[in-house]
Order: sequence, then structure tokens, then C-alpha cells
Amino acid sequence: MMQDFLEISGLTDVGKVRQFNEDQIGIDAETGTVLVADGMGGHHAGEVASRMATDMIMADLHARIDQLGPGAGSITPLYAADQAIKRANRAVFAASQTQTAYHGMGTTLALAIFHDNNVVLAHVGDSRIYRLRGNVLQLLTRDDSMLRDQVDLGFISAADASESHNRSLVTRAIGAAENVKVHLRDERVLPGDIFLVCSDGLTDIVEERDIELILSSLRTNLPLACLHLIQTAKDNGGYDNVSAILVRVLERFPAGQRSRFLAWLRSLFN
Amino acid sequence: MAKLVLSAGGTVVHQCFVDQLRVTIGRDSNNQIVIEDPTVSRVHAAILQVGNDHIVEDLSSAAGTFVNGERIPRRILQHGDVMDFGTHILRYLNPKAEESELDRTMLIRALPKIPDQASQPLAATVGDAQVNTARATKVHLPSGRVKALAGARSGTQIELDRVVAILGTPDEQLAVITRRPQGYFITHVEGASYPQVNGILLDKEAHPLRTGDVIEVADEKLEFWQD
Repeated sequence: MMQDFLEISGLTDVGKVRQFNEDQIGIDAETGTVLVADGMGGHHAGEVASRMATDMIMADLHARIDQLGPGAGSITPLYAADQAIKRANRAVFAASQTQTAYHGMGTTLALAIFHDNNVVLAHVGDSRIYRLRGNVLQLLTRDDSMLRDQVDLGFISAADASESHNRSLVTRAIGAAENVKVHLRDERVLPGDIFLVCSDGLTDIVEERDIELILSSLRTNLPLACLHLIQTAKDNGGYDNVSAILVRVLERFPAGQRSRFLAWLRSLFN
Repeated sequence: MAKLVLSAGGTVVHQCFVDQLRVTIGRDSNNQIVIEDPTVSRVHAAILQVGNDHIVEDLSSAAGTFVNGERIPRRILQHGDVMDFGTHILRYLNPKAEESELDRTMLIRALPKIPDQASQPLAATVGDAQVNTARATKVHLPSGRVKALAGARSGTQIELDRVVAILGTPDEQLAVITRRPQGYFITHVEGASYPQVNGILLDKEAHPLRTGDVIEVADEKLEFWQD
């Protein structure tokens, strides 16, 4: 299924300073779904929040695989992503309200679902999604962060952002409130595109020009590219947990192909 | 909590914590920090608190606002920064801002007036006026180069001044040289056959490079050199 059209490689690492890894990655080659979650909260709560959200969302989307895509079901992947994230938000929030140890926990999220020559991008917080097309890296998400707001409101210049102490302050998270607003978009993909889904442990410490160079240089070896991203973050200090998932689009994946396959698959059971 | 220390001629004349969202500095007596100096404007500058940041902003003063000797319209203050106001010096102290605890992701209330930009157009490409959020790293990296002895680039020298450099021919045989704090490493990237260093085939692992090593990858033969 989607594994015929995509190549996926992902890594998560505790870094060099932290004791626990509160990042969580999810990869489902069958549905063409990848996600990164960066948990926050005291003791192990951050880990709990990111794991809860990851497990719930991945399971939710996997269960809906044959509903996704035109002709296959009644919901769009965009809607499915939004609903799955909101369900996870309610669950994490409920847990944080009912158990003292989990009070105040939450998680960022960056999610990509590949479908019908498109990709649904969803995010909350400061985990990011980039696309390398040709040799050009482009950021496809806008951080929910104090730093980003500061720049957009003109408090500081974009060039001065690296001097800020606000890089870890997110303005939106999963599990922080009863409801969450999710940033969603649906983008066309082209064969050869490489998508990077990552936590701020990478982008806080590795300049985008270096990420761009690593991805364009090592595009034919995704596991090695992934390793280099993590390694560079750690070489630069590794202050935070660091996660990166790379997805390369191998060829077009028209909806029809998947729908036909699903129809055939279903016919076996009917 | 951040602290401001005002001194003149080496003597501390006033000090206070930055406990308000906006602290103004000037000659007028209703500023939080009053500087009695004729070259200082009545309301000269302000220090704003935004999240963990304190931002000093010049308020169109006649003499200008200087941080560490540089005239600035606006600047994020760093622990130990010194601002000049006429004969007075205002020092910003915030040792906590240096701590790694700030790296821990935390939730904060958004600044007002940020529209939901879920459907905004794509951000600019790298190199344009994109927000540079990566911090400046204090890592010391080695400096090295390879000299092409044979192949398409024969006779040329390639500086290894970026995080990675690719050698070889795509679809045939590629190797990557990685620049790390502990030195340079070479790793096989693609191709059925592996590159050689000093006549020995590489395996899948990264292999450290030393001055004088001869690398053979695709039709290229290169000598490695590190300062």
C-alpha cells in the first residue's frame, strides 16, 4: 500500500543533557502516517502526554485507513487528522485533570498523512514540518511559540530571534485545555519530495541551512540522513530531546490505486 | 528575576528588579528608572518583558540608546549587557536566562492579536527573511580540506567548511565527509561498491579521517588534510 510509494526513516534520541526522552515518534508505513510529539510536564508526565497522544492518534488513523481517500469512505484525511488530534487532546487533558502527577502535562504534535498525491499536515506547538524539493528546504508550519509571535508582532527582528530566551515557550499544546485548535493544511506532493517532521530539539540547535545541506546531500540514503540530523543536534550541544522523521515520495500514489486495492481486499471478505 | 543596576562614575546609584511588563528610563521623575543627566531624554528608553525576554527599546531619544557600545533601536537583553545613558551605566543582570532549564518546553499564554494563520501562504525559503530560531552554538569545529588528485575535479582543493560534503558520482558511488567537533569522518552513502581509504574498503560505519589519508570514491581520488 503506501509503503510502495513512500520511503520512511525516523529516529528519536534523548540528547546529551536530559535524563528522559519526552519525545515520541510514530510511523505507520501502511497508512502513510508519521508524527512527532514533544511532551512537557514534570517528572515523567511529559513522556506520558506524548506517548498517549502518539498511541491514540496512530491507532485512530490506522483504524480508519479504508475510510480515507475519495471513493473509499466518507471522510477526508484532513478531517480524520483533526478529529484524531482532538480526541487525543481530550484524553490527555482529562488525565492531567484527574491525576495529580499529570497535572499540567501536554505535548506538541506534528503529523503528516500521505494520500492521493497529497499530504495532510497538522501541527500544534513548535514541532515542525519541512519539505525539501529540489535542493530547497521550506518550512511548512508556523510555530505556536512566543518567539514566533514576538517576531510577527515586531517586538524583535527575525535576525535577532536566535538571541531570544523564549525558544521553548509554546503558546498551544495538546492536553493544555479542553479544546485545541489544530493547524491543518493539505499540500500537493511530487515524486522526489522529502518531508522532515521534527521536534524543536533539532531546529533549535541546527541551522536550517545545515538541515538543507544534510537532506540534499544524503537524499539517497534516508537512514543516514536521519542519523546525521540527530548527530549534528548532539554535536551542537544536544540540550533537548531530538526527533526526526524523513519521508521520501518515491512515485505518484493516485487515489484510484489504493481504492482499487482496498476494494479487492474487501471483496475477499465479503 | 532580572535586575537592573544603575551606576555613575563607578558608584551604584540605584538598583531594582524588573518586575513590570514595561520599565521606562529617562530624565522625568515619573520613569521607573530616573537618570538625572541633561543628555538623557525625558522618556528615553523602555524595557519590555516578553516571555523570558527583556527587550530594550529606544523611544526616539535625542542621544540614542546604546547596548555594549552599539546604538540600537531595539535589542533582546542578555545577562551582563551594559546600556549607556549619558554619564550613567545601566547593567542588566539575569543569570537565570543562562540556565538550561529554559530549554525545557513550557506552555505560555499567547501574545494578543495573533490571528490564526493556519491558511497563511508558505513561509519563505531558507536564506530569505525567515525567522532564525536556531541558537548560536559555541562548538569548536575542526578545519580541513580535500585535494583532488584524480577525477573530474583533479587539481582543485575542496574546503570542508560545512557539516557535510559529498564526494563521488550520484547513482554510482557516493561518500559523505562529516565535520564534527572531534574531527572528520567519511561514510558510504550509495552505490553497490564501497569507497576506499588508503586502499582499504570502507564498511557501513563512519570512518575517522587523518591528514594524508587518500580517499577513492567513484572516479575521484582525493587527499585529506586537517589543520
